[in-house]
Amino acid sequence: MQSIDDISQALLAKVNTSDAPRDVLKAPEFKELYNQITKLDPSERGGYGKQVNNLKLNLVQAIELREAELENAAVEPIDVTAPWDVNSHAPGLLPTQYGTQHPLTKELRVVIDIFTRMGFAAIESRQIDDDFHMFGALNFPENHPARDGYDTFRTEENFIPPAHTSTMQHRILKDGKAKLESGGQIAAISYGRVFRNEDVDATHEHTFYQCEGVFVSETATLGDMLGTLRAFFEVYYGQELKIKTQPAYFPFVEPGLEFAIEKPATLGGKPGEWLEMLGCGMIHPNVLRAADIDPEKYQGFAWGGGVERLVMLKYGIEDLRHFEAGKLAFLRKFKS
Amino acid sequence: MIISVNWLKKFTDVELSIDKLTTLVGARLVEIENVVDLSEKYKDVLVVRVIECASLEGTDHLNLTKIDDGGVRSDVDRDENGLVQVICGAPNVKAGMLAAWLPPASTVPESFGDDEPFILSAKKLRGVISNGMLASAKELDLFDDHTGILEIDRDVAVGTAFADVYDLNDYLLDIENKSLTHRPDTFGVIGFAREVAAIQGKTFVTPEWLAQLDPTYDNVDGAKEAPCVVIDDPSLSARYQAVVLSEADANRQSPLEVQTYLSRVGVRPINAVVDVTNYLMMLTGQPLHAFDYDKLVALAGGKADIHVRAGRDGEKLELLDGRTVELSSDDIVIAAGDIAVGLAGAMGGLNTVIDDSTKNIIIESATFNLYKLRATQMRHGIFSEAITRFTKGQPSELAAPVLAEAVRLMGEWAGTKQVSEIAEARGEEYANKPITLTANRVNGVLGTSLSLTEIDTILRSVEFASVEVDDVTLAVAAPYWRADIHIVEDVIEEVGRLRGFDAIMPTLPLRDFSAIRPAPFDDLRENIRHLLVRSGANEVLTYSFVHGDVITKVGQKVDDSYRIINSISPDLQYYRQSLTPSLLGLIHPNIKQGFDNFAIFEINKVHPKSAGLTDEGVPVERDVIALTLADNKQQSGAAFYHAKAVLEYLASNLGFTLSFEAITSDTNQPQTAPFEVRRSAWVMDAQGNNLGIVGEYKKSVGRGFKLPGFVAGFEIDAGSLFAAVCELKPSYVPLSRYPSTERDICFQVDSQITYRQIIVAVEHALINASPGVEVSPVDLYQPEDAATKNITIRLKLTAHDHTLTGDEANGVVKVVTDSVMADTGATVI
Repeated sequence: MQSIDDISQALLAKVNTSDAPRDVLKAPEFKELYNQITKLDPSERGGYGKQVNNLKLNLVQAIELREAELENAAVEPIDVTAPWDVNSHAPGLLPTQYGTQHPLTKELRVVIDIFTRMGFAAIESRQIDDDFHMFGALNFPENHPARDGYDTFRTEENFIPPAHTSTMQHRILKDGKAKLESGGQIAAISYGRVFRNEDVDATHEHTFYQCEGVFVSETATLGDMLGTLRAFFEVYYGQELKIKTQPAYFPFVEPGLEFAIEKPATLGGKPGEWLEMLGCGMIHPNVLRAADIDPEKYQGFAWGGGVERLVMLKYGIEDLRHFEAGKLAFLRKFKS
Repeated sequence: MIISVNWLKKFTDVELSIDKLTTLVGARLVEIENVVDLSEKYKDVLVVRVIECASLEGTDHLNLTKIDDGGVRSDVDRDENGLVQVICGAPNVKAGMLAAWLPPASTVPESFGDDEPFILSAKKLRGVISNGMLASAKELDLFDDHTGILEIDRDVAVGTAFADVYDLNDYLLDIENKSLTHRPDTFGVIGFAREVAAIQGKTFVTPEWLAQLDPTYDNVDGAKEAPCVVIDDPSLSARYQAVVLSEADANRQSPLEVQTYLSRVGVRPINAVVDVTNYLMMLTGQPLHAFDYDKLVALAGGKADIHVRAGRDGEKLELLDGRTVELSSDDIVIAAGDIAVGLAGAMGGLNTVIDDSTKNIIIESATFNLYKLRATQMRHGIFSEAITRFTKGQPSELAAPVLAEAVRLMGEWAGTKQVSEIAEARGEEYANKPITLTANRVNGVLGTSLSLTEIDTILRSVEFASVEVDDVTLAVAAPYWRADIHIVEDVIEEVGRLRGFDAIMPTLPLRDFSAIRPAPFDDLRENIRHLLVRSGANEVLTYSFVHGDVITKVGQKVDDSYRIINSISPDLQYYRQSLTPSLLGLIHPNIKQGFDNFAIFEINKVHPKSAGLTDEGVPVERDVIALTLADNKQQSGAAFYHAKAVLEYLASNLGFTLSFEAITSDTNQPQTAPFEVRRSAWVMDAQGNNLGIVGEYKKSVGRGFKLPGFVAGFEIDAGSLFAAVCELKPSYVPLSRYPSTERDICFQVDSQITYRQIIVAVEHALINASPGVEVSPVDLYQPEDAATKNITIRLKLTAHDHTLTGDEANGVVKVVTDSVMADTGATVI
C-alpha cells in the first residue's frame, strides 16, 4: 500500500494541473483512504484518521487556489478605451422613466432651499466625530446623565457616529464669530445623517437624517425663534399654521422647548391635531463661550428635527425602514 | 416614571379635567407620554364581608363562603338572607373579614387590557355554584402576594366600591425619565405637585415635616451610641446622616393604601421597613438605605463605624441582588470600618442585608457625587429607582427632613424605636447663590415685555426668594430643591415656562440684507443626482456601517475600517470604506423581487482609516458617487461599456470629457478592491487627474454577492470631480457658416491595438490641420478567433472661412491614415 504522503503528493499534483480540480476529491485512491479506516486496529484509527483529515484540508485549500487561478486566467481583458465592445454598438442608457431620486434627498433639498432663501447657509454634517463636538462643546459635562439620552455608538478609537447634527454647531459658531463681531449675524443650518444605538422597527431606525439651525445676533429672542420656525413651516406647507411648544431639556439650550405645529390641512389635519416637529431653544451661554463668543453681548437660538418625519407625513410612508432598504419597489414610487 | 394624579392631589388641588391637566403639564413642565385610567380596571370590584365560611365537602382546601355585599349587585343569586355564595380556596379566608369581591361578569383586574381578559361568571365548582371570586392582591393587580385573599384594612361599609377605599379611581401619567433629567425635585410626588400647583396658579404649601430642615427628635431611648460617620473624601458625598432603630420586624406590613400607591407607580411592596424607604423616595426623590445594624457592627469590629470612601482597585462586593462586582477607585463605597457594605447610591451589600433575624437597623439618608454615581451605574449596569434619582443630583438639604419622617413612619408602621441620636457627616455642599436679573434681560431673551413685578410674582409662585436690589434689578435665590438653577438663563427659563412659552408672540429676527449662495459643491451633487436619475438610475441610501463579511468579500481589509464597539448587530460593526459594496448587496434582492434591468446609485460619505485625520483630529470623510448597473439577461457587449456610457453621459452634461486608462498595476485602495482590473479603467479628467474607477467586478465578488453575469459600475471621488468641474472654462466655438464634410475610414489593426491608440495617432496628425475636425467611432468589428479587428471612425470636417473642397478633405484623410498606419501598423480597408 502507498503511504499517505505519496498519495497526498500525487493528488496535489493532479489538482494543480486539472481544469476541474474539485473532481480530485472524487478520485478512487482518495476514497480508498477512508475505506481503510475500518480495516485498521482501533488503536491506530485515531492517528490515521487525523492524517487523512489533514490531507483533505490540504487538498481543499489547493483546490480553492487552483480554482481562483483558473478563474483568473479565464478573465478576458477588454479595451477600456473603446467606446463600445467589438461586434457591438453604442450602449444605450436605461429609459429615463426608470430613474428616481430618493425621497429623503429630495425633501432635504426642499428644506435646504427654503432656509437658503431665508438667509441661512447650509452645511452638511459629519458622519464620524469626536466626543468634544458631540457632547463637550455642547455643555454636556463628562458623565452627565443627559448623555444617556443619546444612545451613542462608539468606535475603538472613541470616535462617535454623531447622534445629532448639533455636532456642527460649535464649528458653525467658530466660523461665524468674525462675521458676528464685525456687525453681522450667524445664520446657518446643518443637515445630514445621525446614528442612535436603537433596535430597528417601523418607527425606529439607528440611522436617520436631521436638519439643525443656528441663529446668533445681538438681539435674537425666543420670540424670534418661534417666528422663524413658524415661517419655515408655513412656507413648507404653503399655509398659515398654529404652533405650540412644551418645555424640554437639552443641555445645549436654555430655555429648551419642543416645537409642534397644528397638522396642516394638506396632510388631512383637523384643528387640535398637533405634530411634534423639533427641539429648540436659546443657545446656552456655555456653548457660545466654548466657541469664544461673548454670551453677554450675543445671544441666539438653535433647533433640530428629523427629516424622515416630513417625508413620511408628506407621502404617507408607513415604515421608516424603507428609507435605507434600497428596494426598487419602494424607490420607483417616487417619480421625479 | 409614573405619576399618580390622586397622589398629587394629596399635596395640591387639581380641579382640571385629566385632558386639561395633561395639556397644561405638557405645555409648562414636561411631555406626558401616556395616560392610564385605572378606574376602568376596578369599576366592578366591591368590598364585602364574609359572613359564613365553611370548608366545602369533599375538598381539602376549598371553602364555601356566604358574603354580604350590601345588596349592591342586582344580577346575582342570593340566599334567603340576601347573601351571595362564593367558593374561595385561600387559606386566610374567614368569617367576619372584609374582602374584595369580583362579581360575575366583572373582569379580573390582573388580566385587564390583555388580548383575552379573564371575565368571571357564576359557575359550578364541585357541583356548587360560585358567584365570581374573592380576590388576592395579585388578582387585583396590586402586588404579588400568594398568601391568600386581600384583607381590607379599613372599616368601611359593605358594598363600597373597592376603588373608593384606596383612591384607585386614579389616572397614571407616564413620563420619560430623560425628559426630566434636569429636575431632581420632580422625581418626587411632592416636587411634581409643587409644579402642578404653580402652573395652575395656585399657592403650594410644602408639608410641614419636609419644610423642617433641622428636625428635632423626641423619644430617643439612647440604648445605642450614634454611629460614627466619616466622609473620607469630601467630594464624594455632600452629606451623610444615619440613625439606629431597634425592634425592626420584617413581617410587619405597611398600610394597604401605601402598598397600593407604591404598586401603582411600579414599586413592589415588601414589608413596612422597606416600604417606608421607598414611599419617602417616591414622595421626595430622596433615596434611603437600611443596613442590618448588628451585621454592620460585627464587620466593623464591634462598633458602628461608617466610612464613605472611594472603592479600591481589586476590591469586591457582593450586592443584594447576589451579583459580585469588582470595585474601582471611581466607585463610592459605604464601609463598615474598612469592609465595603454598600455601593453608595446604587445598591447595598449582601453582608448587611435585612432578613428575618434582623433586630436593629441603621437608616442612611445621604447624597453622593452624581457624576461618580453615573459612572458607577454605567460600569455595573445598575438602574434602580434610587440611583436614577441620585444621578439627577438630589440636594443635601433633603437628607435631614426625610430621615426624620422615615424614623416617624417606621415607628408607626413597623413598630421600630429610635435608639440612637442622629449621626451626621458633611462633605462639599452646594448652595444656590442669588442671581440678579433685570426685566430688560428677561424680555431681551424671551421677546416679551414683562414688568419686574410680574417676573417676581411668577418666581415666588415656585418658592424662589427675591429681593429688589433697585428699581430695575431683582436678586433671586432658588429654593434648595432646585439644584438645576445656576445662571440667569435658568431663571429666565422658569419665567418663560411658568408663564407659558405659548404666550410669547412669534416675531421674525432683525436680519441684515444679504443673499446666501448655495454651496457650489452641494449644487454639483444635486446636479449629478438629477443627471443620474435622467440616465434611468435609482438613487438609494444605505447604512454607513457594514458587516465585516462585506468588507472581506470585496477584498478590502477589515483593519482599514473604524470598528463600532457597542454595535447592536454584526451587520453594523464597521464603517464602510467605499460605497460599492453596499450597492452590490442590493443587486440580488432586487432581482429576486422581479427587477431585471436597473441601475442604482448613492452619493454619500466613506471613512477608510487610511484616509487619516483632519486638522481637528477627526477622521477624513470622502464624498463619493457610486453606481452599479445590472441586467439579469445578457446584453450585447461587455457590461463595462454600459457603466462607462453612464459616466460619459454624466460628464458631458457637466460640460467636460473624460478619458479612460487601462489599469496596469494592482491597485491597493479600498474603493477599487471590488473591481476586476483587467475589465476596469481609471477615470481621468482633462488635466490627467484620477477621479475614480469604472469597471466590472471580480468573479469572487460576483459569487459573494450572487450577482448576475451582466453587472458593472463606477465609484468616483466627488471632491476630485468637483475640482475638475471648477477648472472648466466655457468651451463654446462660434458656429460655422459653411457646410461640413464627413469621411469614414476603416482601419484593420492587430487585436491588441486599442481604440485609444488609433485616436492618439489621429489627433497627432491633426495638430496642424486647418479645418476643424471632429472624430467619432462608427464600428468595431472582430471576426471570431481572428488576430485582427476593424475599427471604423468618422471625420467630420468643418472650415470656418470657406466650403471645403473634395481635395482638401481627401488631404486631411490622407494625413490621418498615414499617421495611424505609421503608429499602429494598421491597414486601411
